Formats: sequence, C-alpha cells, structure tokens
Amino acid sequence: MAARAVQISGQHFDLDTRRIVRAVSRALPEPVRDHYVVIEGRRYPPKQVIALATGLDRADFTTHQARRILRRLGFTAARRTAIPGPPSTPETRRSAADPVERLRPHIGAWIAVKDDDVLVSADSPAAVLAWLSQHDQMADSMFRVPENETAAGGAAPA
Amino acid sequence: MRFPFRHLPAAGGGQLTPRPTVDVWLEGIDAVPLASLVDTGALRTRFSRDLATAAGIEPDDDLAEKFAVGGTLVTGAPARVLMRIGAGDASHAWEAPVWFCDPWPFGFQLLGLEGFLQHFRVTLSAYHEWIDCRPER
Repeated sequence: MAARAVQISGQHFDLDTRRIVRAVSRALPEPVRDHYVVIEGRRYPPKQVIALATGLDRADFTTHQARRILRRLGFTAARRTAIPGPPSTPETRRSAADPVERLRPHIGAWIAVKDDDVLVSADSPAAVLAWLSQHDQMADSMFRVPENETAAGGAAPA
Repeated sequence: MRFPFRHLPAAGGGQLTPRPTVDVWLEGIDAVPLASLVDTGALRTRFSRDLATAAGIEPDDDLAEKFAVGGTLVTGAPARVLMRIGAGDASHAWEAPVWFCDPWPFGFQLLGLEGFLQHFRVTLSAYHEWIDCRPER
C-alpha cells in the first residue's frame, strides 16, 4: 500500500503499513483498555502505535485520531467493549470467535492469557513477567505456544 | 478442582491434540500461574530453569543431573518449592521438589509422579476434555 500523508499535531508524516509494522516490531503491546488495532496478529493500543511510528508524545493526539489513521492504512481496529458485529473478513470472524485462533500468531512465543485474550507475547518468560509487573496486570495462565505435538507433549523421561 | 483441556493451534493450520493441563502457581511468581502438563509417565516434576530465576528460587546445583526430555538433553537441578492450584473457590497448596531444567523448549511445565501426582487423586476424561485433581490429604 502506498504511503499516506497525514498531519498530526501540526506535523506532517508519510505513513504506510510497512513503517507501522516496523515501528511496533520490537515493542510489546501495552494493555488494551478499550480500543485496539491488530498488527501482525497482536492487539495494540492505537496511541502506542502512532507514538512509536511518529515519535510524537501521546498527549499530542487522540485515540480517535490514531484509530482513524491506522484504519485508513488497512489495519483492523476494534473495541474490547463493543457488541460483536459482523467482522470485516472471514479471518477476523474466525479469530474473534475462537480462542485457539487468537493463539495462532503467537506460536513459538511465551504468552500470558486472561479471559482467552493474549495479554502479552514475548521471547522469554522473564519478559512476560516483567511486562505483567510493569503494567500491574494479573493473568490466568502463562505458557509457550508450542509449534508441534512434540513441543506440546511431555515425552516423559525416566 | 476441574480443569478443561487446553486447545492449541497447529503451525500448519488446524489444532494440536488438546492437552490435560493445570495452571500452577509457583512461589515467587504472583502475577500468573504456569500452564503445566499432567504427565503420568514422568517420574519427576520439571519446570524451565528460567522460571526459577524469575521466581528467585535457587536450585541445588550440587544435585544437578543430565537427562533427556522429549529427545532434548537437558540439565536439571532440584529445589523444594511451594505450589498452589485453584479452580473456582477451591484451592490447594503443597510443597514438593521440582527439577528446574535448561534448556526447556517445551510449551508447558511438566507435572509428574514426584511433586504432583503423589499429592492428588487425578481423574481425567479425554473424551469430555477435563481433568479433575483432588488433594490426597
């Protein structure tokens, strides 16, 4: 997709999906309170994404602005508290309905889940625990999403 | 205390076989319990060494052993730790040895005879996909 020229807080930016994906690639998503956008299978608060992509302070723009920009770039934007409506694609429809599909983008990663939502996904249990502590969050379960039956199994030793 | 089997995605699409897992709280980690596979074929309870580090648990490296888990050679060292499981209003805590292993390329921690099954009467239905754990004492 071609870059879109956007103006935020009086500053001009050329944003495209690649730039957005690159900007969030090394950031763990912060807790989603209500609004979120889906990037590479992960839910991010819209303001976190725009702040990472532009370097702007989050006080310089609103959640509504951030959502609008990201939607125009083609990212799925939604609300946790929204009454489920008809999703836009079969994939998002399947994803919204099935907790297993919510795990799929995190295969191979350590995750913490709460109420079937993936709160955080990281390379190590230490990173997951640090995120939970940093954001004062409690979760229902932590594990590494296995790649295959062997990684999921016990394969009991003597 | 009854726990549903855990459903997981398969990398190539579809799902892996649902697994009998129990979420275990480990002393020193207060924010989240650890999804752990109940394995009647395992003699010992084995967790990732990274979790001992995160929890501030110091396994006894003088007792470290090398062994194979799932075809992976790991080094494990034991520590006696406090654990707890809970479902609904019920919960049960117990103290037992856990072998903390490195590397640990598995999805779940492993609950074996020593450390878990000796402390619970376990019933499971793979057909209905639940596992029931009742404390022995």
